[in-house]
Amino acid sequence: MLSVLAARPGVRAAVIASYILLVEWARALGSTAPHAAAAALVLGGLALVLTGAGWPAGRLGLGRSHLGFRILGGLALAAVLLLPAAARASPAPILPAFLALPAVVVSIGEEIAFRGALYAALEDLGGAPVAIIGSTALWTAAHALSHPPEFLFAVAAAGLLLALWRWACKDLVGPIVGHVIADIAL
Amino acid sequence: MRRLALLASAAVIYLLAAWMVAPGFYDGFTPQQPYNWVCPPPQAGSNLAPNSGHQVIKVVGGISDANSAFTNPDIQVVLGFNFGVFDSAGKTQITVDIKPVSPCPKPTGITFATNTYNITADAPLVKKASLVMRFSDLIPAPSTVYYATSPDGPWTSIGALSQAQPFTIDTTIDKFGYYAAGYPSSAVSRTNPGSSQILPIAIAVLIIAVIVAGFPLAIIRRRRAPDAGDEDDSEP
Repeated sequence: MLSVLAARPGVRAAVIASYILLVEWARALGSTAPHAAAAALVLGGLALVLTGAGWPAGRLGLGRSHLGFRILGGLALAAVLLLPAAARASPAPILPAFLALPAVVVSIGEEIAFRGALYAALEDLGGAPVAIIGSTALWTAAHALSHPPEFLFAVAAAGLLLALWRWACKDLVGPIVGHVIADIAL
Repeated sequence: MRRLALLASAAVIYLLAAWMVAPGFYDGFTPQQPYNWVCPPPQAGSNLAPNSGHQVIKVVGGISDANSAFTNPDIQVVLGFNFGVFDSAGKTQITVDIKPVSPCPKPTGITFATNTYNITADAPLVKKASLVMRFSDLIPAPSTVYYATSPDGPWTSIGALSQAQPFTIDTTIDKFGYYAAGYPSSAVSRTNPGSSQILPIAIAVLIIAVIVAGFPLAIIRRRRAPDAGDEDDSEP
């Protein structure tokens, strides 16, 4: 089974994409149960982290080289992600403390899944354009059950930005940092 | 240079897209979980009693700390307090309580789309605090937040901020009392409850269809132009 996945990029990409979609939709549906939001976020995030298993860190965009620049890039991404909310005059509600950890877990899980494993699998399949477009499209689809339709364009735009960063800088640390900060802040 | 230009373009597209919707869309920390009603509407099905909230806010150096109070664990009401919003003279801490009101007030000419909550504190506000009220996706969305000093009224509309997270209504308050979100009974519903359930699924199906059709096209195009994008395939 694993040898088939390793030898056939298309099958591998399809399996990873299906798994991610299943986890994300299950997370969205599970969070509708009474008082299950935090647990669904944590379990969903951990399940997404599993997609990174078996990949070399470099293929996922992870690494220690230029770590300072990667983190700095993540801060820049967070600034862009938060700019529309920050520009509004209205005070934003403070995220309840018990949701902070789930926010961190799900952010890391989503980045490893979408811009890490899925991106790498799609890149093997069709190169960077397929990886960028495919990971963005699946990211948007994965959020379709948890977000009203009018939000999906913004979700897609965020996914495109993070995927382009992954491609342009060959880096996943920045998207992880940016995503974590944005989720905690909002 | 091309990569930088593409990144910048993506950032601009994101900023425009995100500006058109409310902040807080990222990972859906306002999930469409069932609303806990004091007086559930007929379509609500099974219902749990709504929760109360209680928060003790420290006063340090005569200034109240920044903190939030919310109904726990249903998070149907969230109050946000910045530093120094309370008149904290002579206090070392301030207690805030949020309690759902029963029986449900039913003022003439107003339809409440949320429970009514009695918000109290042992110190008055000297600056505005934020109030976020979650509402159910089973009923028409409220257009404003109402305030009263008594559950019997009179109820005053204090408005709502133009942008809010999904299924929440935001406003600012400068005093404590009774709060509920709703709309004038004469107003026409601005949401179709059913559409919020069906449209996301329809859009997801459409996106998957685009993926299924788009990948072969992208691969074929890449094979026809093998040199294009080679620089993008290398790993660091």
